[in-house]
Amino acid sequence: MQQSAVLELNNLRKTIKGKEIIKGIDLTLYSSQIFGFLGPNGAGKTTTIRMIVGLIKPSKGSVSICGYSVAHDFGKALSNVGCIIESPDMYKYLTGMENLLQFAAMDKQISQQRIKDVVDMVGLQHRVNDKVSTYSLGMRQRLGIAQAIMSRPKLLILDEPTNGLDPAGITEFRNLIRKLAYEEGMTVFVSSHLLVEIQQMCDVVSIIKQGSVIKTANVQEIIHNDQIEWQLNNPEKAIAILREHWNIEAVQLKKNTISADISQQPLDRINELFIREGLALTYCSTKQNTLEDLFLDLTEGDEIV
Amino acid sequence: MYSLIKNEVIKMISKKRLMFVLAILVVLISVFAYGQNQTLARTKAQLSQRMGITATDDWRKLAGQQLIDLKNRLDSPYMDEKNKSSTRVRMEQLQYNVDNNINPLEQSAAKFTTKFMEQAIFLFLPLLIIMLSADMVSGESSSGTIKLLLVRNVPRWKILLSKYLTLVILEVLVVFFAFVLSAIISGAFFGYGGWLAPVATGFKVLAGKLDSTSVLNVPQWRYSLMVYSLAFFVAVVVGSISFMISILVKSTAASIGIIMSTLVAGNFISFFLTDWKITRYMFMVNLRLTDYLSGSFQPIEGMNMLFSITVLLGWAIASIIISFVYFTRQDILV
Amino acid sequence: MLKKSMWYSILTIACVGFIVLAIGFYQAIIITTAANPQPSAKAETPQTSPVSTKLSSQNANSFKLLILGDSIAKGTGDEKGKGFSGYLTESFKNVTSKEIIVNNAGIDGLESLGLLEQLQNKSLDKTISESDIILVSIGGNDIRSILSLNDLAKEDQFKVRMASYLGNLKQTMKVLRTTNPNSIVIILGLYNPYEKVSSAEDTKLLNTWNYNTQLLVEQDGKGIFIPTHDLLKFNLGRYIAKDGMHPNSAGYQALSNRISKSVEPIISGL
Repeated sequence: MQQSAVLELNNLRKTIKGKEIIKGIDLTLYSSQIFGFLGPNGAGKTTTIRMIVGLIKPSKGSVSICGYSVAHDFGKALSNVGCIIESPDMYKYLTGMENLLQFAAMDKQISQQRIKDVVDMVGLQHRVNDKVSTYSLGMRQRLGIAQAIMSRPKLLILDEPTNGLDPAGITEFRNLIRKLAYEEGMTVFVSSHLLVEIQQMCDVVSIIKQGSVIKTANVQEIIHNDQIEWQLNNPEKAIAILREHWNIEAVQLKKNTISADISQQPLDRINELFIREGLALTYCSTKQNTLEDLFLDLTEGDEIV
Repeated sequence: MYSLIKNEVIKMISKKRLMFVLAILVVLISVFAYGQNQTLARTKAQLSQRMGITATDDWRKLAGQQLIDLKNRLDSPYMDEKNKSSTRVRMEQLQYNVDNNINPLEQSAAKFTTKFMEQAIFLFLPLLIIMLSADMVSGESSSGTIKLLLVRNVPRWKILLSKYLTLVILEVLVVFFAFVLSAIISGAFFGYGGWLAPVATGFKVLAGKLDSTSVLNVPQWRYSLMVYSLAFFVAVVVGSISFMISILVKSTAASIGIIMSTLVAGNFISFFLTDWKITRYMFMVNLRLTDYLSGSFQPIEGMNMLFSITVLLGWAIASIIISFVYFTRQDILV
Repeated sequence: MLKKSMWYSILTIACVGFIVLAIGFYQAIIITTAANPQPSAKAETPQTSPVSTKLSSQNANSFKLLILGDSIAKGTGDEKGKGFSGYLTESFKNVTSKEIIVNNAGIDGLESLGLLEQLQNKSLDKTISESDIILVSIGGNDIRSILSLNDLAKEDQFKVRMASYLGNLKQTMKVLRTTNPNSIVIILGLYNPYEKVSSAEDTKLLNTWNYNTQLLVEQDGKGIFIPTHDLLKFNLGRYIAKDGMHPNSAGYQALSNRISKSVEPIISGL
């Protein structure tokens, strides 16, 4: 299943005006992956993306796309990329179709049919011949996506793509991305601060803070949780039991509440033992972690966790 | 490259900037032609008053007399060799007027077209070109479209080159339309003739003085062609310089301001041409190339057609190099 | 699509235009810099007139006459082609046995400034220094244009023109004297060929002009002012050529006689 890497970042660094703002990012992405890039404002998300597509030159390190170095093989590397950076700025004095034709003309392989299909895919069939200056933000976003996927790129980079879309639009968008990734094998790189979206859309997530990636993990692993909370009359006894039998460290939260990560140990067996040992169990539930918790956890304060 | 240039030209057409520039041309030429017409009427009236009513129609007699005088001057063995060519040239012109029944006072479409560009070449034409060129790159920077333009399977230098070549195409167009519009509009006022009339040229600068030894006559259409070609060269040079400035400054308004002020400053700086040697290497003072053709300029040691063209060419090449190096290296942060 | 067709026409105009302009540009450079382009085809052959190009050295047996000035100096109007060069020589021959060598540097249309410049460019210096008599006819072209103005402007223009003419004449005399302190300098007065149609005002201006010229010339001991107006006043029919301006053969002869009579003693003494 693992093919060659579609995107590889190696010790990517950037110094602007003496300040190092990107401090060594390593990343490898494969095909059919939807990757999320999360971070607070000023963390360096957009700068990293600009370095990937060659708008900014890295101070150190390298970027390669489908094996081609962006620094040395710019054309070949970029021919595999479609992207939207911040807002998709199109030529306001041209129509949607004329905009697409402009970009299509720069890449010889895009046929008229393909353009039409793409327009249908993003739902702009009825407005594509109007001047872009008349578009709403959502329409411009769609046009931006159309422009990005026109050339069937192997790597699709989206910076804040759901900006300005209504909930229906966001769902549509999510489905489109899923389709592109799983059916057409695209690697999608999404940068956003809409955590819920990332959580729902992405497979892998990297959290970036102050120019460094502080955690990369599978989304499923993060939100899947084995954190259980019990309310009982004898918390110390329960903690001892858990330690002895399953080698689980529990933590006392409030007066009669303990919590522990049972790591997939059978919860029913644990509860059964508690009761047999004479503990009065009033309450037991799993605690839902969200990406937001993790995010805030990791990005709060000055320490890098 | 073809598709890139096509893209750029279509963008220019859609932005309506080209139309706007042509509209300005039409308005200005019309105003100019109308003004000239008024001046001509007034001059004729004045002359009639001073010399008697027949004076203006008596140009024939006057021309005849001048021809005789000039011929005799030419025959004198004491005539300076240097003056012989200009005398011969003047005689040809008078003879032409007499043969073709042309009153030298009258204007013609041909005369106007040439004179217009001779006057426009150092300020008005550059202004038109700057309106087109200042926007080519900085416009895309300010509107952010440059991001989409550069994240393609096309190297940056190619994109910049396509913009530059588009600019050259537009420069040809502006000069072409200046010619056509001048001829058509002035023709409505003064008649469409005059293209074969002889015009004196061939002046040279030797040792800081105006030298008329190789003066000769060329037909008006050929003279006009030379004037407009020089105008095109000036357009390309000014276009290159403002192209570079707009790339460096990234703001259309600022770059227009910068280059317009340097052009206007050129008018003042030309006073120092004899005293302050470095001023003659500035591009603004070398724009009046058509003056070398017509011999109507203050000859300054070392400044002749070849010198001015070389200086301008140097500026253009330097601008182009700077533009390309800067553009391909810069980080795009918009 | 409209824009597409515009693109094609733009591209065509640009390509054709570029070639045409490049050609014109090349021509413009050539015509203002390269070594001599073709001058006018008309080759002018100098008119043969009795001009002596003999470079004679100062000789006790010869007598050199230099004629300077405008078309009248040159002899324009003489149907026999002799002018002063011919008739003065004849007149002088009656008075001296020496060989008479004439140099004529008259130029049609010459004005007083032009004469001064001609002298200042030094090409005539040798001839001047070797000449015994220098005859100058100048001023007619200076005054000519004023006569056709209407009355209001005439007086002012006249004053201006006369002042500059006198200035030039003074300089001219100075140059002649510096180059040759010994020769006799004869300045001819102006006549009025349009006598019949001239007003009293015009005549007055002419006389003023001549008078001032005379005053200036007579300041030089070896200079002499010889009037022509009185000789021609009633003789316009006889002495004026068909062009209505210059003297004809009889006119030149009559004028030459008067001149030679005035300087006869000096010539016979030479």
